[in-house]
Amino acid sequence: METMIEKVQALIAEALQVPVEQIPPELAFGGLKQWDSMGHMGIMLLLEERFGVPIDTDVIATLTSVAAICKYLEEPVFSEKTGS
Amino acid sequence: MTAQLQITPTVTIPEHLTSEVQSKLAYVDEAILRARVAGDGITLELREQATGSRRGELEEKVQRVVTMMVQGAFRPKVQIPEDHLDRPVPYSADPNPDLLARGEMFQEASGIYTVGPLVTRLIAFFEGQFVALADSFGAAPYRFPALIPARYLERVNYFRAFPHSLTFVTHLREDLEAIDDFAQHAACDEHGLTTPSGSFAKFQTLLSPAVCYHLYFSLADKPLPGGQLAATAVGNCFRYESINLASLERMWNFTMREVIFVGPKDFVLQNRETGRQRTAEFFEKIGLAYRVESANDPFFIGEFKKQAAFQSAFQLKFEIRAKLPFKDSTLAVGSYNYHQDFFGRSLNITLPDGSPAHTGCIAFGLERMAFAFLAQFGLDVVKWPDAVRKSVMGEE
Repeated sequence: METMIEKVQALIAEALQVPVEQIPPELAFGGLKQWDSMGHMGIMLLLEERFGVPIDTDVIATLTSVAAICKYLEEPVFSEKTGS
Repeated sequence: MTAQLQITPTVTIPEHLTSEVQSKLAYVDEAILRARVAGDGITLELREQATGSRRGELEEKVQRVVTMMVQGAFRPKVQIPEDHLDRPVPYSADPNPDLLARGEMFQEASGIYTVGPLVTRLIAFFEGQFVALADSFGAAPYRFPALIPARYLERVNYFRAFPHSLTFVTHLREDLEAIDDFAQHAACDEHGLTTPSGSFAKFQTLLSPAVCYHLYFSLADKPLPGGQLAATAVGNCFRYESINLASLERMWNFTMREVIFVGPKDFVLQNRETGRQRTAEFFEKIGLAYRVESANDPFFIGEFKKQAAFQSAFQLKFEIRAKLPFKDSTLAVGSYNYHQDFFGRSLNITLPDGSPAHTGCIAFGLERMAFAFLAQFGLDVVKWPDAVRKSVMGEE
Protein backbone atom coordinates (compact mmCIF):
# COMPACT_ATOMS: atom_id res chain seq x y z
CA MET A 1 0.00 0.00 0.00
CA GLU A 2 1.25 3.47 -0.90
CA THR A 3 2.31 5.47 2.13
CA MET A 4 1.38 9.10 2.66
CA ILE A 5 4.90 10.25 1.89
CA GLU A 6 4.87 8.32 -1.39
CA LYS A 7 1.51 9.82 -2.31
CA VAL A 8 2.82 13.31 -1.63
CA GLN A 9 6.04 12.69 -3.54
CA ALA A 10 4.04 11.46 -6.53
CA LEU A 11 1.71 14.42 -6.38
CA ILE A 12 4.56 16.95 -6.20
CA ALA A 13 6.32 15.21 -9.09
CA GLU A 14 3.14 15.41 -11.16
CA ALA A 15 2.55 19.08 -10.32
CA LEU A 16 6.13 20.03 -11.10
CA GLN A 17 6.31 17.72 -14.11
CA VAL A 18 9.50 15.98 -13.00
CA PRO A 19 10.30 12.29 -12.33
CA VAL A 20 9.34 11.20 -8.82
CA GLU A 21 12.98 10.26 -8.22
CA GLN A 22 13.69 14.00 -8.06
CA ILE A 23 11.39 14.39 -5.05
CA PRO A 24 13.30 13.09 -2.00
CA PRO A 25 11.48 13.10 1.38
CA GLU A 26 13.55 16.06 2.58
CA LEU A 27 12.75 18.26 -0.45
CA ALA A 28 11.43 21.75 0.28
CA PHE A 29 10.34 24.86 -1.62
CA GLY A 30 13.23 26.15 -3.71
CA GLY A 31 15.11 22.85 -3.48
CA LEU A 32 14.26 22.16 -7.08
CA LYS A 33 14.22 24.73 -9.88
CA GLN A 34 10.63 23.82 -10.69
CA TRP A 35 9.45 24.34 -7.10
CA ASP A 36 9.23 28.11 -7.42
CA SER A 37 6.19 30.29 -6.76
CA MET A 38 4.27 28.98 -9.77
CA GLY A 39 5.31 25.43 -9.02
CA HIS A 40 4.23 25.82 -5.42
CA MET A 41 0.78 27.02 -6.40
CA GLY A 42 0.52 24.15 -8.87
CA ILE A 43 1.17 21.77 -5.98
CA MET A 44 -1.47 23.50 -3.86
CA LEU A 45 -4.10 23.30 -6.61
CA LEU A 46 -3.38 19.62 -7.19
CA LEU A 47 -3.52 18.96 -3.45
CA GLU A 48 -6.99 20.47 -3.31
CA GLU A 49 -8.10 18.48 -6.32
CA ARG A 50 -6.66 15.09 -5.38
CA PHE A 51 -7.11 15.04 -1.64
CA GLY A 52 -10.28 17.10 -1.53
CA VAL A 53 -8.96 19.23 1.30
CA PRO A 54 -9.32 23.00 1.30
CA ILE A 55 -6.03 24.87 1.00
CA ASP A 56 -6.54 28.46 2.02
CA THR A 57 -3.98 31.23 1.94
CA ASP A 58 -3.23 30.77 5.64
CA VAL A 59 -1.69 27.37 5.04
CA ILE A 60 -0.15 27.89 1.59
CA ALA A 61 2.88 29.54 3.20
CA THR A 62 3.32 26.65 5.65
CA LEU A 63 3.18 23.74 3.19
CA THR A 64 6.67 24.33 1.88
CA SER A 65 8.18 20.85 2.16
CA VAL A 66 7.27 17.25 1.55
CA ALA A 67 7.25 16.70 5.29
CA ALA A 68 5.00 19.70 5.99
CA ILE A 69 2.47 18.58 3.39
CA CYS A 70 2.43 15.04 4.82
CA LYS A 71 1.93 16.40 8.33
CA TYR A 72 -0.94 18.60 7.15
CA LEU A 73 -2.69 15.75 5.38
CA GLU A 74 -2.26 13.48 8.38
CA GLU A 75 -4.04 15.90 10.72
CA PRO A 76 -7.14 14.13 12.10
CA VAL A 77 -9.50 16.58 10.39
CA PHE A 78 -8.20 15.52 6.97
CA SER A 79 -6.97 11.97 7.48
CA GLU A 80 -10.47 10.58 7.04
CA LYS A 81 -10.79 12.20 3.63
CA THR A 82 -7.33 11.23 2.49
CA GLY A 83 -7.73 7.65 3.67
CA SER A 84 -4.60 7.74 5.77
CA MET B 1 -22.48 55.64 -31.39
CA THR B 2 -21.64 53.76 -28.20
CA ALA B 3 -23.79 50.90 -26.98
CA GLN B 4 -24.18 48.85 -23.84
CA LEU B 5 -23.93 45.10 -23.48
CA GLN B 6 -25.11 43.32 -20.32
CA ILE B 7 -23.59 39.96 -19.50
CA THR B 8 -24.50 37.66 -16.64
CA PRO B 9 -21.42 35.62 -15.71
CA THR B 10 -21.87 31.86 -15.59
CA VAL B 11 -19.79 31.81 -12.40
CA THR B 12 -20.25 34.06 -9.39
CA ILE B 13 -17.56 36.71 -9.06
CA PRO B 14 -16.55 36.96 -5.40
CA GLU B 15 -16.29 40.48 -4.02
CA HIS B 16 -12.54 40.30 -3.51
CA LEU B 17 -12.06 39.68 -7.25
CA THR B 18 -14.46 42.34 -8.55
CA SER B 19 -11.90 45.06 -9.25
CA GLU B 20 -9.34 42.61 -10.69
CA VAL B 21 -11.90 41.16 -13.11
CA GLN B 22 -13.12 44.64 -14.03
CA SER B 23 -9.61 45.85 -14.82
CA LYS B 24 -8.81 42.78 -16.93
CA LEU B 25 -11.96 43.16 -19.04
CA ALA B 26 -10.24 46.16 -20.62
CA TYR B 27 -7.98 43.75 -22.49
CA VAL B 28 -10.68 41.41 -23.77
CA ASP B 29 -11.57 43.29 -26.94
CA GLU B 30 -10.77 46.63 -28.57
CA ALA B 31 -14.50 47.35 -28.83
CA ILE B 32 -14.77 47.77 -25.05
CA LEU B 33 -14.69 51.38 -23.90
CA ARG B 34 -15.66 50.78 -20.28
CA ALA B 35 -16.41 47.80 -18.10
CA ARG B 36 -18.26 47.63 -14.82
CA VAL B 37 -18.64 44.59 -12.62
CA ALA B 38 -21.43 44.75 -10.04
CA GLY B 39 -23.48 42.29 -8.08
CA ASP B 40 -26.02 41.95 -10.86
CA GLY B 41 -23.55 41.27 -13.64
CA ILE B 42 -21.17 42.87 -16.10
CA THR B 43 -21.93 46.00 -18.08
CA LEU B 44 -19.77 46.77 -21.08
CA GLU B 45 -19.82 50.06 -22.93
CA LEU B 46 -18.91 49.35 -26.55
CA ARG B 47 -17.70 51.59 -29.36
CA GLU B 48 -20.70 50.49 -31.40
CA GLN B 49 -23.63 48.11 -31.21
CA ALA B 50 -22.65 44.43 -31.29
CA THR B 51 -25.20 42.06 -32.79
CA GLY B 52 -25.36 38.44 -33.91
CA SER B 53 -22.10 36.55 -34.01
CA ARG B 54 -20.10 39.60 -32.92
CA ARG B 55 -22.17 39.85 -29.76
CA GLY B 56 -21.74 36.10 -29.17
CA GLU B 57 -18.00 36.41 -29.65
CA LEU B 58 -17.77 39.21 -27.08
CA GLU B 59 -19.90 37.31 -24.57
CA GLU B 60 -17.81 34.17 -25.00
CA LYS B 61 -14.55 36.08 -24.45
CA VAL B 62 -15.87 37.78 -21.32
CA GLN B 63 -17.20 34.50 -19.89
CA ARG B 64 -13.85 32.83 -20.58
CA VAL B 65 -11.87 35.53 -18.79
CA VAL B 66 -14.21 35.57 -15.79
CA THR B 67 -14.15 31.79 -15.49
CA MET B 68 -10.36 31.63 -15.74
CA MET B 69 -9.95 34.22 -13.00
CA VAL B 70 -12.64 32.97 -10.65
CA GLN B 71 -12.70 29.18 -10.79
CA GLY B 72 -10.39 27.63 -8.24
CA ALA B 73 -9.17 31.04 -7.04
CA PHE B 74 -7.76 31.11 -3.54
CA ARG B 75 -9.39 33.63 -1.26
CA PRO B 76 -6.70 36.06 -0.09
CA LYS B 77 -6.41 36.86 3.57
CA VAL B 78 -6.05 40.62 3.79
CA GLN B 79 -3.53 41.78 6.37
CA ILE B 80 -3.72 45.39 7.55
CA PRO B 81 -0.64 46.34 9.57
CA GLU B 82 -1.63 50.03 9.65
CA ASP B 83 -5.02 51.69 9.39
CA HIS B 84 -5.25 55.49 9.53
CA LEU B 85 -8.09 55.95 7.06
CA ASP B 86 -10.15 57.75 9.69
CA ARG B 87 -7.65 60.60 10.08
CA PRO B 88 -9.63 63.81 9.52
CA VAL B 89 -8.64 65.68 6.36
CA PRO B 90 -9.89 69.13 5.32
CA TYR B 91 -10.91 68.44 1.70
CA SER B 92 -13.42 66.11 0.12
CA ALA B 93 -14.02 67.42 -3.42
CA ASP B 94 -12.63 65.97 -6.65
CA PRO B 95 -9.30 67.77 -7.25
CA ASN B 96 -9.30 67.04 -10.99
CA PRO B 97 -11.42 70.01 -12.15
CA ASP B 98 -9.30 72.37 -10.05
CA LEU B 99 -6.06 70.84 -11.34
CA LEU B 100 -7.22 71.30 -14.94
CA ALA B 101 -8.60 74.81 -14.41
CA ARG B 102 -5.39 76.06 -12.80
CA GLY B 103 -3.19 74.51 -15.46
CA GLU B 104 -1.67 72.20 -12.85
CA MET B 105 -2.54 69.13 -14.91
CA PHE B 106 -2.62 68.87 -18.68
CA GLN B 107 -3.48 65.71 -20.59
CA GLU B 108 -1.36 65.11 -23.70
CA ALA B 109 -2.97 61.76 -24.45
CA SER B 110 -4.60 58.90 -22.58
CA GLY B 111 -2.41 58.21 -19.55
CA ILE B 112 0.11 60.92 -20.45
CA TYR B 113 0.07 64.07 -18.35
CA THR B 114 2.19 67.09 -17.68
CA VAL B 115 1.87 68.82 -14.32
CA GLY B 116 2.26 72.47 -13.40
CA PRO B 117 4.47 74.33 -10.91
CA LEU B 118 2.53 73.65 -7.71
CA VAL B 119 2.19 69.91 -8.35
CA THR B 120 5.83 69.78 -9.44
CA ARG B 121 6.92 71.41 -6.19
CA LEU B 122 4.67 69.08 -4.21
CA ILE B 123 6.20 66.07 -5.96
CA ALA B 124 9.66 67.47 -5.20
CA PHE B 125 8.68 67.71 -1.53
CA PHE B 126 7.64 64.05 -1.38
CA GLU B 127 10.67 63.06 -3.41
CA GLY B 128 12.88 64.83 -0.83
CA GLN B 129 11.24 62.90 2.00
CA PHE B 130 11.71 59.57 0.25
CA VAL B 131 15.35 60.36 -0.53
CA ALA B 132 15.78 61.09 3.19
CA LEU B 133 14.25 57.69 3.92
CA ALA B 134 16.75 56.10 1.52
CA ASP B 135 19.59 58.02 3.18
CA SER B 136 18.53 56.63 6.56
CA PHE B 137 19.51 53.20 5.21
CA GLY B 138 22.73 54.52 3.68
CA ALA B 139 21.28 53.59 0.28
CA ALA B 140 23.66 54.14 -2.62
CA PRO B 141 22.23 56.39 -5.34
CA TYR B 142 21.77 55.08 -8.88
CA ARG B 143 20.43 56.43 -12.18
CA PHE B 144 18.63 54.04 -14.49
CA PRO B 145 17.46 54.43 -18.08
CA ALA B 146 13.84 54.55 -19.21
CA LEU B 147 14.60 51.80 -21.75
CA ILE B 148 15.08 48.19 -20.78
CA PRO B 149 16.31 45.35 -23.02
CA ALA B 150 13.70 42.75 -23.96
CA ARG B 151 16.10 39.94 -23.05
CA TYR B 152 16.24 41.25 -19.47
CA LEU B 153 12.47 41.13 -19.07
CA GLU B 154 12.38 37.68 -20.67
CA ARG B 155 14.83 36.43 -18.07
CA VAL B 156 12.50 37.35 -15.19
CA ASN B 157 9.39 35.96 -16.88
CA TYR B 158 7.84 39.41 -17.32
CA PHE B 159 6.29 38.68 -20.71
CA ARG B 160 4.29 35.85 -19.21
CA ALA B 161 3.24 37.62 -16.03
CA PHE B 162 2.38 41.12 -17.34
CA PRO B 163 2.02 41.03 -21.15
CA HIS B 164 -0.96 43.38 -21.10
CA SER B 165 0.96 46.32 -19.66
CA LEU B 166 4.08 46.22 -21.85
CA THR B 167 5.20 49.27 -23.81
CA PHE B 168 7.39 48.50 -26.80
CA VAL B 169 10.14 50.58 -28.34
CA THR B 170 11.50 50.30 -31.83
CA HIS B 171 13.14 52.39 -34.55
CA LEU B 172 13.18 52.46 -38.32
CA ARG B 173 15.20 49.74 -39.95
CA GLU B 174 18.64 50.82 -41.06
CA ASP B 175 17.57 50.74 -44.69
CA LEU B 176 17.64 53.80 -46.94
CA GLU B 177 14.50 52.85 -48.84
CA ALA B 178 12.56 52.04 -45.67
CA ILE B 179 13.54 55.38 -44.13
CA ASP B 180 12.67 57.28 -47.33
CA ASP B 181 9.37 55.41 -47.58
CA PHE B 182 8.53 56.31 -43.98
CA ALA B 183 9.44 59.97 -44.47
CA GLN B 184 7.22 60.16 -47.55
CA HIS B 185 4.19 58.26 -46.29
CA ALA B 186 3.98 58.35 -42.50
CA ALA B 187 0.85 60.22 -41.44
CA CYS B 188 -0.76 60.83 -38.11
CA ASP B 189 -4.44 61.28 -37.31
CA GLU B 190 -6.50 61.01 -34.13
CA HIS B 191 -6.22 57.22 -34.24
CA GLY B 192 -2.44 57.21 -34.35
CA LEU B 193 0.47 56.96 -36.74
CA THR B 194 0.02 55.12 -40.02
CA THR B 195 3.26 53.82 -41.47
CA PRO B 196 4.42 51.81 -44.49
CA SER B 197 4.64 48.11 -43.71
CA GLY B 198 8.10 46.81 -42.88
CA SER B 199 9.31 50.13 -41.54
CA PHE B 200 10.36 48.97 -38.11
CA ALA B 201 13.18 46.93 -36.65
CA LYS B 202 12.51 43.96 -34.39
CA PHE B 203 11.74 44.88 -30.78
CA GLN B 204 14.92 44.70 -28.77
CA THR B 205 13.88 47.19 -26.15
CA LEU B 206 10.87 48.19 -24.09
CA LEU B 207 10.07 51.08 -21.79
CA SER B 208 10.88 50.02 -18.28
CA PRO B 209 7.93 48.97 -16.09
CA ALA B 210 9.84 49.30 -12.80
CA VAL B 211 12.93 50.92 -11.33
CA CYS B 212 14.48 48.12 -9.27
CA TYR B 213 14.82 45.68 -12.19
CA HIS B 214 17.75 47.69 -13.53
CA LEU B 215 19.65 47.22 -10.28
CA TYR B 216 19.05 43.47 -10.25
CA PHE B 217 20.24 43.15 -13.84
CA SER B 218 23.39 45.11 -13.04
CA LEU B 219 24.13 42.57 -10.29
CA ALA B 220 23.38 39.49 -12.41
CA ASP B 221 25.69 36.48 -12.82
CA LYS B 222 28.13 37.37 -10.10
CA PRO B 223 28.54 37.33 -6.33
CA LEU B 224 26.89 40.29 -4.59
CA PRO B 225 29.71 42.66 -3.56
CA GLY B 226 29.81 42.91 0.23
CA GLY B 227 27.01 40.40 0.60
CA GLN B 228 24.28 43.00 0.96
CA LEU B 229 23.26 46.26 -0.66
CA ALA B 230 20.86 49.13 -0.12
CA ALA B 231 20.30 51.34 -3.15
CA THR B 232 17.92 54.01 -4.33
CA ALA B 233 16.83 55.54 -7.61
CA VAL B 234 14.01 57.48 -9.16
CA GLY B 235 12.85 56.69 -12.65
CA ASN B 236 10.18 56.84 -15.29
CA CYS B 237 8.02 53.72 -15.38
CA PHE B 238 5.59 52.66 -18.07
CA ARG B 239 2.58 50.41 -17.65
CA TYR B 240 -0.14 50.46 -20.27
CA GLU B 241 -3.53 50.13 -18.61
CA SER B 242 -5.89 50.64 -21.54
CA ILE B 243 -9.28 52.08 -20.57
CA ASN B 244 -8.28 51.93 -16.91
CA LEU B 245 -5.91 54.87 -17.43
CA ALA B 246 -7.30 57.88 -15.57
CA SER B 247 -5.95 61.23 -14.45
CA LEU B 248 -2.88 61.26 -12.19
CA GLU B 249 -4.40 58.22 -10.48
CA ARG B 250 -3.44 55.79 -13.22
CA MET B 251 -0.87 56.98 -15.73
CA TRP B 252 0.86 55.18 -18.56
CA ASN B 253 4.08 57.07 -17.84
CA PHE B 254 4.75 57.80 -14.17
CA THR B 255 7.71 58.23 -11.84
CA MET B 256 8.69 56.02 -8.94
CA ARG B 257 11.24 56.50 -6.19
CA GLU B 258 12.44 53.17 -4.90
CA VAL B 259 14.61 52.09 -1.99
CA ILE B 260 15.98 48.69 -2.88
CA PHE B 261 17.50 45.97 -0.71
CA VAL B 262 19.55 43.00 -1.91
CA GLY B 263 21.09 40.47 0.46
CA PRO B 264 20.13 37.74 2.93
CA LYS B 265 16.46 37.22 3.73
CA ASP B 266 16.62 38.82 7.19
CA PHE B 267 18.42 41.89 5.84
CA VAL B 268 15.71 42.49 3.25
CA LEU B 269 12.74 41.79 5.51
CA GLN B 270 14.09 43.81 8.44
CA ASN B 271 14.78 46.83 6.23
CA ARG B 272 11.37 46.56 4.58
CA GLU B 273 9.78 46.65 8.03
CA THR B 274 11.99 49.49 9.26
CA GLY B 275 11.12 51.42 6.08
CA ARG B 276 7.42 50.92 6.77
CA GLN B 277 7.78 52.28 10.31
CA ARG B 278 9.77 55.32 9.19
CA THR B 279 7.28 56.04 6.42
CA ALA B 280 4.44 55.79 8.94
CA GLU B 281 6.14 58.48 11.05
CA PHE B 282 6.31 60.78 8.02
CA PHE B 283 2.67 60.21 7.07
CA GLU B 284 1.62 60.89 10.66
CA LYS B 285 3.56 64.17 10.58
CA ILE B 286 1.66 65.39 7.52
CA GLY B 287 -1.67 63.90 8.62
CA LEU B 288 -2.22 61.66 5.61
CA ALA B 289 -5.24 59.36 5.80
CA TYR B 290 -4.20 55.92 4.56
CA ARG B 291 -3.82 52.32 5.40
CA VAL B 292 -1.31 49.61 4.61
CA GLU B 293 -2.75 46.32 3.41
CA SER B 294 -1.54 43.14 1.78
CA ALA B 295 -1.92 43.07 -1.97
CA ASN B 296 -0.85 41.35 -5.15
CA ASP B 297 0.61 42.55 -8.41
CA PRO B 298 -1.76 42.86 -11.39
CA PHE B 299 -0.76 39.63 -13.12
CA PHE B 300 -2.40 38.84 -16.42
CA ILE B 301 -5.32 36.47 -16.56
CA GLY B 302 -3.51 33.15 -17.07
CA GLU B 303 -1.03 33.76 -14.25
CA PHE B 304 -3.32 35.67 -11.96
CA LYS B 305 -4.78 32.98 -9.72
CA LYS B 306 -1.54 31.27 -8.80
CA GLN B 307 0.78 34.26 -8.55
CA ALA B 308 -1.66 36.47 -6.69
CA ALA B 309 -2.43 33.72 -4.19
CA PHE B 310 1.26 33.06 -3.69
CA GLN B 311 1.97 36.73 -2.99
CA SER B 312 -0.92 36.86 -0.58
CA ALA B 313 0.00 33.67 1.25
CA PHE B 314 3.62 34.69 1.74
CA GLN B 315 2.78 38.37 2.45
CA LEU B 316 5.16 39.50 -0.23
CA LYS B 317 3.46 42.77 -1.06
CA PHE B 318 1.84 45.47 1.05
CA GLU B 319 0.34 48.57 -0.52
CA ILE B 320 0.08 52.02 1.01
CA ARG B 321 -3.46 52.97 0.09
CA ALA B 322 -4.25 56.65 0.58
CA LYS B 323 -7.81 57.81 1.05
CA LEU B 324 -9.56 59.54 -1.84
CA PRO B 325 -12.45 61.23 -0.01
CA PHE B 326 -14.16 62.44 -3.19
CA LYS B 327 -14.86 58.91 -4.38
CA ASP B 328 -14.92 57.13 -1.04
CA SER B 329 -12.12 54.85 -2.09
CA THR B 330 -8.36 54.47 -1.79
CA LEU B 331 -5.40 54.74 -4.13
CA ALA B 332 -2.15 52.78 -3.93
CA VAL B 333 0.58 55.41 -3.58
CA GLY B 334 3.38 53.07 -2.63
CA SER B 335 4.25 49.53 -1.72
CA TYR B 336 6.54 47.42 0.43
CA ASN B 337 7.72 44.44 -1.59
CA TYR B 338 9.65 41.27 -0.90
CA HIS B 339 10.53 39.03 -3.85
CA GLN B 340 12.09 36.20 -1.83
CA ASP B 341 14.99 34.85 -3.91
CA PHE B 342 13.13 35.13 -7.24
CA PHE B 343 15.55 37.66 -8.76
CA GLY B 344 18.54 36.08 -7.05
CA ARG B 345 17.72 32.75 -8.67
CA SER B 346 16.53 34.07 -12.03
CA LEU B 347 19.54 36.35 -12.45
CA ASN B 348 22.12 34.31 -10.58
CA ILE B 349 22.93 36.93 -7.93
CA THR B 350 24.75 35.04 -5.20
CA LEU B 351 25.55 35.67 -1.55
CA PRO B 352 28.99 34.84 -0.07
CA ASP B 353 27.75 31.36 0.92
CA GLY B 354 26.75 30.68 -2.68
CA SER B 355 23.00 30.86 -2.07
CA PRO B 356 20.80 33.17 -4.17
CA ALA B 357 20.28 36.70 -2.87
CA HIS B 358 16.90 37.88 -1.63
CA THR B 359 15.51 41.19 -2.81
CA GLY B 360 12.89 43.69 -1.80
CA CYS B 361 11.97 47.30 -2.38
CA ILE B 362 9.95 50.16 -1.04
CA ALA B 363 8.37 52.02 -3.94
CA PHE B 364 6.52 55.33 -4.06
CA GLY B 365 4.49 56.53 -7.04
CA LEU B 366 5.25 60.24 -6.99
CA GLU B 367 2.35 61.56 -9.08
CA ARG B 368 -0.09 59.37 -7.19
CA MET B 369 1.36 60.53 -3.88
CA ALA B 370 0.80 64.16 -4.88
CA PHE B 371 -2.68 63.41 -6.23
CA ALA B 372 -3.78 61.63 -3.06
CA PHE B 373 -2.44 64.51 -0.97
CA LEU B 374 -4.37 67.02 -3.08
CA ALA B 375 -7.50 64.89 -2.83
CA GLN B 376 -7.23 65.13 0.97
CA PHE B 377 -5.99 68.71 1.35
CA GLY B 378 -7.05 70.52 -1.84
CA LEU B 379 -5.06 73.00 -3.90
CA ASP B 380 -5.35 75.85 -1.39
CA VAL B 381 -1.93 75.76 0.25
CA VAL B 382 -3.24 77.65 3.30
CA LYS B 383 -5.04 74.46 4.30
CA TRP B 384 -2.00 72.28 3.90
CA PRO B 385 -0.07 70.90 6.88
CA ASP B 386 2.68 73.30 7.97
CA ALA B 387 5.51 70.92 7.11
CA VAL B 388 4.32 70.57 3.54
CA ARG B 389 3.33 74.19 2.95
CA LYS B 390 6.56 75.62 4.30
CA SER B 391 8.67 73.33 2.17
CA VAL B 392 6.65 73.70 -1.02
CA MET B 393 6.23 77.47 -0.69
CA GLY B 394 9.83 78.08 0.36
CA GLU B 395 8.83 79.47 3.77
CA GLU B 396 11.64 77.62 5.55
